[in-house]
Amino acid sequence: MAVTVKTFPSASEAAGALSSDRSARYLGGGTLVMRALNEGDISISTVVRALDQALTRIDASGPRITLGAGVTFARVLAERDLAFLHAPARSIGGPAVRNMGTIGGNLFAPTPYGDFTVALLALDATVAVQGGFGARDIPIEEFLQARDRQAGTLVLSVSCTRPASSEAFRYRKIARIKPKGGSVITLAAHLPISGGRIASARIALGSMAPTQIRARAAERALEGRSLDAATVAAAASAASEGTSPSDNALGSAWYRREIVGVHLRRLLSGQE
Amino acid sequence: MLELRKDIFADERDDNLNEIGKGTQRQDMLGHVTGTSSFFNDHKLQGMLHLKVVRSTQAHARIRRIDTTEAERSAGVRRIIRGADVPVNLNTLLSLINFGKDDEPSLAVDKVRYKGEPIIAIVADSEREAFEAIAKVKIDYEPLPAVFDVEDALKPGAPVVNETYPKNTFTYHETYDHQRLRFGDADAALATADHVLEQRYQMSPIEHAPTETNGAIAAPDTNGRYVVYTSTQALFFSVDTCAKILDVPSNTFHFIGGTVGGGFGGKVDTLTEPLAILGAMLTGRPVRYMFGREEEMQYGPPRGAERIYIKDGVMRDGRVVARKIRAYFDSGAYTRLSSYAAVKCAAHLPGPYTIPNVYGDVYCVFTNRTPATAMRGFGVTAMDFAIECQMDKLAHLVGMDPMEFRILNAYRDGDMKAHRREAKNTALIECVQVAAEKAKWPLREEFKRASSRKDGGGSRAVIPPTPTDSSRARSTNPVQQRTSYDRLPPTVTREPPREPPPTVPPPPSPRPAAPSHGATRFSSVFGTRRR
Repeated sequence: MAVTVKTFPSASEAAGALSSDRSARYLGGGTLVMRALNEGDISISTVVRALDQALTRIDASGPRITLGAGVTFARVLAERDLAFLHAPARSIGGPAVRNMGTIGGNLFAPTPYGDFTVALLALDATVAVQGGFGARDIPIEEFLQARDRQAGTLVLSVSCTRPASSEAFRYRKIARIKPKGGSVITLAAHLPISGGRIASARIALGSMAPTQIRARAAERALEGRSLDAATVAAAASAASEGTSPSDNALGSAWYRREIVGVHLRRLLSGQE
Repeated sequence: MLELRKDIFADERDDNLNEIGKGTQRQDMLGHVTGTSSFFNDHKLQGMLHLKVVRSTQAHARIRRIDTTEAERSAGVRRIIRGADVPVNLNTLLSLINFGKDDEPSLAVDKVRYKGEPIIAIVADSEREAFEAIAKVKIDYEPLPAVFDVEDALKPGAPVVNETYPKNTFTYHETYDHQRLRFGDADAALATADHVLEQRYQMSPIEHAPTETNGAIAAPDTNGRYVVYTSTQALFFSVDTCAKILDVPSNTFHFIGGTVGGGFGGKVDTLTEPLAILGAMLTGRPVRYMFGREEEMQYGPPRGAERIYIKDGVMRDGRVVARKIRAYFDSGAYTRLSSYAAVKCAAHLPGPYTIPNVYGDVYCVFTNRTPATAMRGFGVTAMDFAIECQMDKLAHLVGMDPMEFRILNAYRDGDMKAHRREAKNTALIECVQVAAEKAKWPLREEFKRASSRKDGGGSRAVIPPTPTDSSRARSTNPVQQRTSYDRLPPTVTREPPREPPPTVPPPPSPRPAAPSHGATRFSSVFGTRRR
């Protein structure tokens, strides 16, 4: 059976096509779907596209920013108001991949990819999706937990609140090959400070579980404290709690568990 | 940036070179930078079919049954090719130069020996239809114990990977299970050395990762010939390999290659051409067979992994007096070029140094891993990495500067090399001197004055008395000062896993006791030449 490409003017029509066809995949930048097709993934028989301008919109003027699902990493990097997202955007692929790869697609990128999603998870983003039952907003954590069941829905946009300062949001990708390697571990931390104390810390990890996850034990170790050496050490020692990394060519599960605390400590203490 | 140091060895060179030292435009550069170079895959022929292979999911298994009934009925399938359809379904690459036994089928028949080994080829109207048919092929495997470690493969009772070589080692000169180098008495020298350092070095397989994956397009031509567009980096080699596998004269083929989208040794194995041509023969249509990226990375042959043990004896004054090496080349499940790599390696020992006692055992071992092949200096690169790491460690051990330590031990013109040839045109000393100068690395005056053309030969040209293995009782571990260097316990003494019976004659490359020059060099490398 040949592969059919269906192109729709609106996102809602595309979402309809996705939800009615189990073998349909949405094509954003193609860095995942075209690779799968070229490598002989016969589970995909229909490729769905949408020309909807709304999917490529960036709203970065206010305290809450919204990125259309079709926004590429290259566009994020070109947007001065999105400086806090430049580090995660730059950490993805090479220029060619960043020119094509999209925010929406990154939400579905399997380990060792999906680095931008780690940043979004730390920032407590909201994912707007359109399914068979209409549009709705889902917290990113909930979205990721049910990611395998999201195949029939179309992601429209992602939004999050801008961190209060550049210190409040930190991101680091550990890769063996720079600048283009897959992730050994990816870390992002949102550390809002209120009266000298951390309030509502969120730490997100990539490549430490089948999907991006939060390091809740480390977050608890930070909560209500100032970011001093003892706090950082406590968070670092709790970093691997609740994680379930696996072995791949870039690193073993054991190695990831061993080093995640080291890198979290460096991230929190601002060490290069 | 290019600087030619013509002051060095100036009297040995006519300074009339036409190319070296001059900026020369590569002839293919304009096409490459303008994106107009044509590669094999740019040929889209009318009615072209696409070939894909079903690969083994098992590292080592007997094939009980192959069921292709559903695949044959799959849409767009033109032909299913089995091992029985391949005219000569057993080959080894270097059989063209009479080196090694045929050991690898184009399509596995009764057994698979590595994960990813091709079993069935499917020719279909589109790649997609070929992939869909592949999903419908059912193969019933009986898994066999697999071996992935070179030393495990040599242990008694190890699974036999490849029945052509039942000892899991390549056979040299129809007799020997490894390459052997003996020069002087390394064990005696180790026993009296001031320091002994033994280290283990383990390499990884390395994929060439070409931009263009391996592939070929074969099309029927007039007069019963076939035109083949191919990515091969060894065109005439590929022609003859295809002629052998398909059992036709080589003038049946018109191979067109030349533009290789990245080779580095990864495109000499002629993996795609025979099946593409066979597909064209069986369907009468042009057939394209190109590796996907995952196929290239996972099943394309890599640089082989080597395990190397080096045990060196060094005196307090910095002279290396003995070097004992055991190396295991992981050939994977079949012989591609690792057999030759082991020969190159043995010929390279002990590196560019004059060491009076050298002992080398180099094994080409079969395991249930992806067959390994050529890659940039294979056979020598890994050994050089190990040797140079070792040289740094030895220098540290005796408290010498590593650059000066190399100059002290470097071979010089007139020295006798371990494989009993006189060293000529040596230049390591000058290389180290220039490297030190460029790096602003201080060398003491006597080392700055050293020359490859001075102080060589004489007693350094003598071939030392060399005990044969059979004349020597198994040496007991000599008592001596040992120095632990890093994490590895250096005192672990490993011996070759399989000592040849005493009746085996002395070293595999018998040479006259005096330096001989001339015509025997090539045949001494490729052992099965008539000797």
